[in-house]
Amino acid sequence: MKRLRQAINNSDISRFRFHFQLFAFGLLIYGGYLAIDFGSNYIPAFACPFVETRGGTCYLYPLQHQLNMPLSQLFSGRGIGLLTGFITFLLMFVLFNKAWCGFACPLGTVQDWITKLRNRFGIRYSTYSETVFSRQKNIKYVLLALLLLLSLGMSNSLFGMQKLSGDFSTSYCMICPGRTVLPLFTGDMSQLVIDFSSKTKTVLTGLGMAVTGLFFTGAFVKKRFFCLLCPMSALQYIFSKAGLLRLKKDGMKCTRCGNCYRVCDVGIREIADDLESTMIVQDDCMMCLKCVSACPEEGCLKATFLGLPVYEATEQGFFKRMGGRS
Amino acid sequence: MHTERFERVKKSTNLHFTMEADEALRKIEDFPSNPGAMGYFYDLFRSVYANGGSLTHKGTIIGTMCVQVPEELILAAGAVPFRLCNGAHAFDQAGAEFMPAKACSLARATVGMLHINRSVHKERLGMVVVPATCDQKRKAGELLREMGYNVYILEVPSSKNSEEARHYWQNSVKRFTAELQHLTGRKITKKSLGTAINLTNEARRQFRRLYNFRKISPPVVYGKDALLVSNAYFFDDKERWLQALTDLNNELELKALKGESVGNRHAPRILFTGSPPVFPHLKIPLLLEQSGAIVAADEVCSSTRMLYDAVAYDESALYDMIPSVADRYLKPCTCPFLVLNDDRRRRLKDMAGQFAIDGIVYQIFSGCHLYEMEQRTIAKTFADSGIPLLFLETDYSQEDTGQLSTRIEAFLESIKARKRRK
Repeated sequence: MKRLRQAINNSDISRFRFHFQLFAFGLLIYGGYLAIDFGSNYIPAFACPFVETRGGTCYLYPLQHQLNMPLSQLFSGRGIGLLTGFITFLLMFVLFNKAWCGFACPLGTVQDWITKLRNRFGIRYSTYSETVFSRQKNIKYVLLALLLLLSLGMSNSLFGMQKLSGDFSTSYCMICPGRTVLPLFTGDMSQLVIDFSSKTKTVLTGLGMAVTGLFFTGAFVKKRFFCLLCPMSALQYIFSKAGLLRLKKDGMKCTRCGNCYRVCDVGIREIADDLESTMIVQDDCMMCLKCVSACPEEGCLKATFLGLPVYEATEQGFFKRMGGRS
Repeated sequence: MHTERFERVKKSTNLHFTMEADEALRKIEDFPSNPGAMGYFYDLFRSVYANGGSLTHKGTIIGTMCVQVPEELILAAGAVPFRLCNGAHAFDQAGAEFMPAKACSLARATVGMLHINRSVHKERLGMVVVPATCDQKRKAGELLREMGYNVYILEVPSSKNSEEARHYWQNSVKRFTAELQHLTGRKITKKSLGTAINLTNEARRQFRRLYNFRKISPPVVYGKDALLVSNAYFFDDKERWLQALTDLNNELELKALKGESVGNRHAPRILFTGSPPVFPHLKIPLLLEQSGAIVAADEVCSSTRMLYDAVAYDESALYDMIPSVADRYLKPCTCPFLVLNDDRRRRLKDMAGQFAIDGIVYQIFSGCHLYEMEQRTIAKTFADSGIPLLFLETDYSQEDTGQLSTRIEAFLESIKARKRRK
């Protein structure tokens, strides 16, 4: 057992993650070919419903549909659908916490591939300044609020406004790059259009096309560019504290060497400089665990599942991983 | 006339230096059961210091004046990093011509050495890198420039807590990289930097092995030996040093397995901090261990702070590796030149626990205000946790040895009495 734990702690999590992402991508995008429907409608990752051959569906899509009902029906039979959907999502999410982002989300995986491509070309990445980073943290919450309100607004008159037209159905999906990008992997280009059938649709799909362009350019220069804007990430973070998989930090052992911050794809500074928090997952964290693998202090950072250490920072592991490079 | 006088001073200073180094080595070796693998280090110091600290390396030598200079970049540019920080009283006296009497011995000795042996050093040192850290080093840099050395001032932020400071430092390191490439005429590539990082990280891995052996109680290695090993890193060929330390570690591992130990089983375990002990000025660590204590750990820039932290980078490309190297030199730094230096206090506290420390010895060189001013905070930290702290102000001369040893013995006695009571 001790030896197994040592082998795991000595291993390279990024390599494992790369292969796991490949597997998850296959499952979520092509699972349909093998008649796999993994968790039908409530995956806490961008498993896009616009991919015909998908093996699972992103929870944001059914959430928007289910919210499209008069508030008065919320506590009737229709509310049960919403409730079960939400509970299913929560149960799945709680298992792996934000590791869904780092290990399963196909849109995240695509961004990691784009990063690899950029690195291959030897083109430098860009980073955000601290102010930009902290300001844009809020965008995903705004998107999440809009997503909920627009869905509700179709069957209810909110803030004294008229009910919104049905064209706002799954409005977030219309601007999500998952809808346009992920079907491309099955050879389906049909989403790469602007729908001129109504003003609303024109605007939404037009925005969607713009976001798609932004997605490719953004991901090319900034690691996990889109994740910092993702409303799913915001929704997850609200429940992150309940996650069974946790990322923990022991501030006493930390020397603030900053290695963890150095390798963080999203640029979370707290991972190095916060010495107080023991549960260190931040809203942009995707639990890729690169920080754990870059930490040279025994047990300072660790991923635990139900309190048991799964992957732990060790001096030996750190030097083994760093020594094997260049 | 002037040159004749200088030659006379040079000769006598170097002679005094050799005697001083000999004396220090004699004291270091005069302990029972020295590890066989330490022989390499004793011989190294003897051979190097017998001829006045010669620069025998091939290729361009880059002198560094402080632990803040990123040596990976120097190695990657095909040059040899050589830490100039000097610990000799003879050179301290020679430096008195340039720096005030109340300046720190280390900076003064370094300037003195570079003045006395300028004929060799000016020719062999391609560049002297002076990080703008403490006042002593900054002004020493100006003096060396006036002496005709090719001085490069490496700008350092005075705090490490903001992102702006970090970026300022990363840019400063980038400029330094360009200067290095210009000087050596060799381009730093991701391959050469990768190799350099691997080499220094390997050195740190072995250093950490030694560091961990020092946690064992009863002790398997004296602090004076550990300090000598890290002092050798200043000037020794990195690969040779790495091999010698690996041998030492393997020997200590065997010793630990067999349950062998050095010194008294109940020797008070001391954490040494403050101004750095640099050979031959290992006066206080030696006095401590001669009086029956063990310098179990140190938090000084001539040893642990120099070799503990390793570089971690994400992408194998210069745009990521150079800032990663820069971060390694700023983020974990606990030098008191940085304002808001809570990290030093935390680090010392953590070490006191990990190494089962009985007492702290805090050395300051007269004139090193930064360490002196941090002394109160550190003392308070340990007063709360019940670990006694001995504050010793000293310089490179041997005049205060009698007084120091009385104070050290009294300190150790009080620790022993306290241990007995427990």
